[in-house]
Amino acid sequence: MSTVEKPDVNSGATTAKPVPEPRRRFQAGGLWYTAGPLAVFIVFLVIVAVLQPSFLAGGGLKIASVQATPILLVALGQAAVLLVGSIDLSNAAMALVSAVILAKTLGSLGAVAPLVCLVVVTLIGLINGLLVVYTQVPSFALTLGTLGILQSAALFLTKATTVYASSNTEVVTWLFQTFLVFIPAAFWVAVILAVVFWLVLRTTPIGQGMTAVGLNETGALFSGLNTRLIKVIAFALSGFFAGMAGITIIAQAGAASSFGLGSDLLLPGIAAAMVGGTAITGGVANPINVVFGALIVALIPIASAAIGIPATAQSLVYGLVIIIAVALTMSRSHAGVVK
Amino acid sequence: MTTTDQPSPVTATAPALEVENVTKSFGPVQALKGVSFRIARNEVVGLIGENGAGKSTLLKILTGVHQPDSGVIRLSGETVRFRRPQDAVANGIGVVHQEQSLLTNLSVAENIAMNAVSSKDQAIRFGVYRWRKLNEEAAEVLNRVGSSIDPRTIVSNLSFINRQMVEVARALRVDEVTHTTPVVILDEPTSVLERNETEVLEREIRRLKDIGSVIFVSHRLDEVLRICDRVEVLRHGELVAHRNTDSVSEDELFHLMIGQDSRAKRHSRDKGGHRPEPVLAVRDLTRKGAFRNVSFEVVPRHTVAIVGSIGSGREELCRAIFGTEPFHSGSLLVEGKQVRSWSMREAIGRGFGYVPSERRVEGMVGGLTAAENLTLTHPGKSRAGLVLKRRARNDIAKEWFERLDVRPRNPGLRLERFSGGNQQKVVMAKWLTAENLKVLILDHPLRGLDPGAMETVAAQIRAASDAGTGVVLLADTLEEAIEMGDEILVMRDGEVTARYDLSVEAPTAVDLLAKMV
Amino acid sequence: MTETKPHPEAGAPTSAPRARAGARSGLRRRVELKSVGEVGALIVIIIVFAVLNPGTFATLKNFQTILDQASLPLIVGVGATMVILMGSIDLSVEGVMGAAGMTFVLLSANSRDTVDLGFFAVIVAIGVGMALGLLSGLIHTRIKVPSFIVTLGVWYIGLGVATLLFGEAAIPTLNSESLKLWPSRLTLGLPRSFLLALALIILGILITRFTRLGRYTYAIGNNEAIARDNGVPVARYKVYVFVLAGAASALAGVVGSMQLGTGSVTVGIGTLFLTIAAVVIGGTSLGGGKGGITRTVLGVLLLTTLNNGLILSGVSPNIQSAVSGAVLIAAIVAAAWPYRSRLRIVK
Repeated sequence: MSTVEKPDVNSGATTAKPVPEPRRRFQAGGLWYTAGPLAVFIVFLVIVAVLQPSFLAGGGLKIASVQATPILLVALGQAAVLLVGSIDLSNAAMALVSAVILAKTLGSLGAVAPLVCLVVVTLIGLINGLLVVYTQVPSFALTLGTLGILQSAALFLTKATTVYASSNTEVVTWLFQTFLVFIPAAFWVAVILAVVFWLVLRTTPIGQGMTAVGLNETGALFSGLNTRLIKVIAFALSGFFAGMAGITIIAQAGAASSFGLGSDLLLPGIAAAMVGGTAITGGVANPINVVFGALIVALIPIASAAIGIPATAQSLVYGLVIIIAVALTMSRSHAGVVK
Repeated sequence: MTTTDQPSPVTATAPALEVENVTKSFGPVQALKGVSFRIARNEVVGLIGENGAGKSTLLKILTGVHQPDSGVIRLSGETVRFRRPQDAVANGIGVVHQEQSLLTNLSVAENIAMNAVSSKDQAIRFGVYRWRKLNEEAAEVLNRVGSSIDPRTIVSNLSFINRQMVEVARALRVDEVTHTTPVVILDEPTSVLERNETEVLEREIRRLKDIGSVIFVSHRLDEVLRICDRVEVLRHGELVAHRNTDSVSEDELFHLMIGQDSRAKRHSRDKGGHRPEPVLAVRDLTRKGAFRNVSFEVVPRHTVAIVGSIGSGREELCRAIFGTEPFHSGSLLVEGKQVRSWSMREAIGRGFGYVPSERRVEGMVGGLTAAENLTLTHPGKSRAGLVLKRRARNDIAKEWFERLDVRPRNPGLRLERFSGGNQQKVVMAKWLTAENLKVLILDHPLRGLDPGAMETVAAQIRAASDAGTGVVLLADTLEEAIEMGDEILVMRDGEVTARYDLSVEAPTAVDLLAKMV
Repeated sequence: MTETKPHPEAGAPTSAPRARAGARSGLRRRVELKSVGEVGALIVIIIVFAVLNPGTFATLKNFQTILDQASLPLIVGVGATMVILMGSIDLSVEGVMGAAGMTFVLLSANSRDTVDLGFFAVIVAIGVGMALGLLSGLIHTRIKVPSFIVTLGVWYIGLGVATLLFGEAAIPTLNSESLKLWPSRLTLGLPRSFLLALALIILGILITRFTRLGRYTYAIGNNEAIARDNGVPVARYKVYVFVLAGAASALAGVVGSMQLGTGSVTVGIGTLFLTIAAVVIGGTSLGGGKGGITRTVLGVLLLTTLNNGLILSGVSPNIQSAVSGAVLIAAIVAAAWPYRSRLRIVK
């Protein structure tokens, strides 16, 4: 047996890896990765509070959490799919369809309506997953196609106008009318879901399986994991979270349309997931950080308005901040080749 | 402990390569301590040493990836200093790495032109590619190594040995631009080659000798002795010996490399008592294009070693048995009962395990910790219903780390950060930790491991067998098969051509070879 | 999002590549068949719509309309294809179109009477696109942010630039009638917008087949690490490609603005979906290293003809994205079907 086996990963014949960083740096990197999004969020808040002291007092955080709720939900679903190494471009459209269905059925089905929505949209997510897994097509392309189909579905269902929830709205409006620490119940529900998701990822076999599939699907397959089921579940989760997002859209606005309310969640959702540290290559996701990611993303337009940045410059600021935020919170240890 | 056997200086001209007192440290770790050696022109020198001995650091310095902290490198008498890899190439040092470094979506000619130092006729002028010239030049380069590959072939359409040839041809280009003797470094070129491919490579190396000098890095001591004129032995960052290959034996080399007495003797073959019922019976198994009518039995505490060269079908056979790839006819009987539908998950559920040859991609999930990898397939006590228990997982991992001497003793580290040998130990543990491992299939388990790790893993295989598992082994070398198998199956072109029961007869490598080709 | 071949090249390969040597030529045949499949699909579509709408579809006028409608996605497609060949993605297309288009209008004779630089306005507009591409490229290569997010950010930045330029004043409309009609005017029987696209396509094909830029793009897309080891200055060439894509998007923004006749922030709306769908349908792999501009041209023509035919057939415009989506899904499933295997990993 060899006398000294240094952890020199440089020398393994079939493994070619860079020299390992000294332990200290590795742990520090891990800490930043865990706390990064929270830190960025706090720094962001501080900057805004300094530039516009009345922001916090005037309920800025409340507004941010209201806006952040649907973004957070969509981002959680996206994080689930990103975790297994795929992407779901259709989840915002699923949210819209869910909102539309809810608006149309709330009157007739009452309290059952949200459940119907959730079931329908989770099924759509499931179909996405089954298609990706069984036909072995790239998820980017497949969900791009699903996105197109769902967009048309929404146009068709809404007849290209805005649909309003006619009655029984109290089934859902309480979500934005009940407050805890000045923050609407809807946001807390989303946070609870994020925490549950986080626990699942860290302590259950399915959570570990999702991470394994994202890190190395072949390796996971050869270790006996049911990788197909795992991926399908990820897509179904995306549908489920999208459904929840749709419910919150109606809960807040009472209406949905293809051109306005609820139609524009895709990019903020992805941005929120990534600012929350989710790796686009898979295998890395922390739902609690996604909460902060969503808050940051929601805060950008609100904060820039509060600070006095003209409306015409909002897009510009949005784009810049997203890039900076992701650059800061990205997990570098798993980086490898960045595409 | 260092003894030197200086080769008799034949020529008065400067050696092709001279390394004098090179030192290199990475932080507190001293990878090379005052290494000095010489390579004469038209000489093939073997470089051997365990993983961690400093071979790859030395190679990286020679190829310009790292710079030495101190010491001198001379090429044909001239002192050189490499700041980047291009400098090494420009000075006549070419390297063929173990990992393929060709771009598979491009043609052979394009790959050859890609890092060419210069082009005779300017095949690429002002950034524009002149394809005809490119192809012509490539054909010339290929011709030099006696290859008839069409330079327009897309690399992904080439067989592995042909790709290796292209890499060698590329490494040879170096001599066009220099007045120094080219030095070609072959880094573990044979570790994935089958026997007849190795012969092709040996011819290549002999041809290379006429053009320049060769440094041949390998773990296969028998090949080193056969192919090289001299051997340099590295241990713990120091060059501990130079030897002429005609005056040293494998055992001596082994001893020099790891500083202790050589490999374990063959274990006792006595299984005692009657032959138990087979845990797996393979009957007339066929997969179109891979193997045909293969039948054999796997018995607890026995090891079936399957040998064969390329195209023999033995890898496909093992994968079919594990359920990775389908088979078209024939049957598998697990503990006497025929299986209906077969898949990897079925197999694992029935107590099968598989250690694949491609460890990084198939054998493990590098981004997970060692402990997570170890408990991924059979969580055992680390799983209680829907929940995974971290402490139990770590306990299980710690136990296996002790048993297999995995270093560093930290199961919470990501598996990709361990050396190859330690990774393989964890991969094995993943299967050994099963409650009832009935069949363990090993696909080139010792490939790429340094001799020390090889010992440990081989010992584990024997231990698993002794504990009751039936082992199916695809060995890297015939010696390995003879040493570890209780039964040997020889395959050729998809069929079983011979069977040997080693408790009754003892075939030699030559016997086996005869049935393989 | 990325495709992994069943037996990766890096590391010790198994015997599988050897066994597959014979299958390779079969694979090549299948790849060629696939292109035939798309051309076939295009022909089928043309025939179907010609039969359904005898008077309106199969006319010279409609043919010219189709080419005109295809020209913007074609122009953008040249740049987008190269970025995708490299293994990255460029989502900033619509933002760049907006910024460049607005620049062009404001620098030409327009209702706000700002300044008229004539043809130079086009140059400046393309410069704006190249600057945005440079931004994307630099952030991606220096700060190592994935191209998905960088170009997403630059999309918003581009829209932001356009919005800022638009300011609060009235909509700037182009004064010159000839400028507004330039794209649809016919030369040699074909709309000029298409001819411009064709010129860019030919340029793009020449670049990808005969120049270092093009070949390195394929190399980087195949395996960035190996490309680097082979001496390819990966970061530099990635930036070049992003700049090129920015220029292409800018050109599309200019032409689009001419067609609109006004400066509009959303001149590019819908282009991203159409272009990416076309690239994928055409068969360029999203993982990089495989495919090409000719394929994208095929994809664009397919989608444009389909949409045109549907409109002529009286199908509601709401259905358009569903049709594009369904075609996309059908195309990729058909393409992937022969390669299905339990071990194949496709993300």
